[in-house]
Amino acid sequence: MLHEISLTVNGDHYTLAVHSHHTLLQVLREQTGITSPKRGCENGECGACTVILNGLPVNSCLVLAPEADGAVVETVESLNKGGTLHPLQEAFIEHNAVQCGFCTPGMLMSSKALLDRIPNPTEDQIRDALVGNLCRCTGYLRIIEAILDVAGSCDEP
Amino acid sequence: MRAFNYCRPTSYGEAFHWLAGADQLVVPVAGATDLIPRIRDGLLRPDVVLDIKDLPDMRALTPTDGRLTSGEGVPPGLYVGAAVRMNELARSELVSSRWGVLAMAAASMGNEQVRNRATIGGNICTASPAADTAPALYVLEAAVCIKGPDGDRTVAIADFFAGPRKNALHRGELVVGLTIPQPPEGSIGHFEKLSRRKAGDLSIVSVAALAVRTDAGYRWRLALGAVGPTPLRSPESEAILSESLTDEAIDRAAASAYGCCCPISDIRSGLEYRQAMVINLTRHAIHAVMAQMPTP
Repeated sequence: MLHEISLTVNGDHYTLAVHSHHTLLQVLREQTGITSPKRGCENGECGACTVILNGLPVNSCLVLAPEADGAVVETVESLNKGGTLHPLQEAFIEHNAVQCGFCTPGMLMSSKALLDRIPNPTEDQIRDALVGNLCRCTGYLRIIEAILDVAGSCDEP
Repeated sequence: MRAFNYCRPTSYGEAFHWLAGADQLVVPVAGATDLIPRIRDGLLRPDVVLDIKDLPDMRALTPTDGRLTSGEGVPPGLYVGAAVRMNELARSELVSSRWGVLAMAAASMGNEQVRNRATIGGNICTASPAADTAPALYVLEAAVCIKGPDGDRTVAIADFFAGPRKNALHRGELVVGLTIPQPPEGSIGHFEKLSRRKAGDLSIVSVAALAVRTDAGYRWRLALGAVGPTPLRSPESEAILSESLTDEAIDRAAASAYGCCCPISDIRSGLEYRQAMVINLTRHAIHAVMAQMPTP
C-alpha cells in the first residue's frame, strides 16, 4: 500500500509516495538519493543507518516509511551544507577516525546528537552514546578522541 | 520486507475496528524495534501494522494525582503511557525521583538509537522473559491498563507475563499504559543486569531490588529476569531480607533466589552460568541498595 508523506531532509522538503513495508532507510537511499545512511545489519545493532529524526538519533532501518510523515530528518549531508566541514568532520579527519568509512556517517550523526544534548560530554558519556555504532576498523579510540577534541575536553594537545 | 498495510488511528474506536478484523492478522506497534526485525526474519507475517502512537494518552508520563487517576482510593503514583520511550523514562526527573529502579532498567536497554524508539508498552507486550523493564515493574508492583472494545481492565504486571512471548491480552485488546504506585519516601531501588557486552545486549540475568521504607525498617522486594519463562519474584528472599541484613541472611536470600529460578541454556549463556550469576547479581543488588541506606 502506498502512503503520501511529507518530510524535511537536511532542510529540503520532500513529498513522496512510500510503501507501508519500506523503511525510512530505503526511502532516503532509494527515493531521495541520499546514500550516507548505510544498510548494515538491519537489526538496530550496527548503527550504520543512524540519522537524526526530530532531534533524536535513531536507526533509520527500524522506522517504517509512513511513520516519517511530517518528520525532520538530518543525515551527514546536513553537516557540511554551505561547503565547510562540520568541526566533528574536521576532527575525524585530524584524528584518523575513519578507515573504511562505512560506519562514519552513523558515527557522525550519533556524535552530533550527543553534542546537541550534552555539549561537553565525558569520555564515558561518549562511549554510552556510541554503544549502538559498530566499527570493524578503527578500534574506536580515535573516534572517541576526535569527539573529545570537538567537545573541548581533550587531554592531548 | 514482506508487504503489509500500515494504519495510524487517532481514536480507540478506529483502532478496535481494525483489531476486530477476523480475517487478517493485525499487529499493534509503537517503537517497532522488535517488530521490524521479526517481520524481516519471517517470524511474523502481519497483514496490517497498527501504529498506536497517536491514540489518546499513549505518550502520557504523569503523576496519577493528575487527570489520569482512575477513581477513588488510587494511591499516588505514576502513569506511563504505553508509547513512552525508554530514553524518556531513563532521563525523566519525575521517574528518577521515586521510581529510580525503572529509570535504571530503561537506561540499560539496547542502545541510544533503540532507546529513542523502543517503548515500555512494547517491552512488556513482547513479553520476553529478558524484558529489561520487567524486574523493575515487578518490584514496583505496576498494574497494566488494558482497553478493549468491551471496556477497560487492569492486570497486575506479574499476571500480565504469561510465558515466553505470551501476554495476558485477549484478542482485540490494547495495552494503553501502566500505573505504578509510589514507594514511600526513603525507599531504595536498584537494577542490575549482566550481558555479554557491557551495553547494547540482552540480559543473561537481571535483578531488581526495592527496599520499601516502613515504620519498622524496610520491606524488601526482589525480582529476576531472563531466568524463567517469565520474570519472577523471589518471595523467600524478600522475607529473609525484610527480617535481617546480616551477611548470612544475604547469602540465604541469594540462595533462595537461585532456588526459585528455572533458567534455560541459550546463545547468551549456559544454564549453569545463569544459575551462578543469579546468586552473584542478587548479592550485588542487595549490597547496592544497602549502600544507599542512611547510617543509623
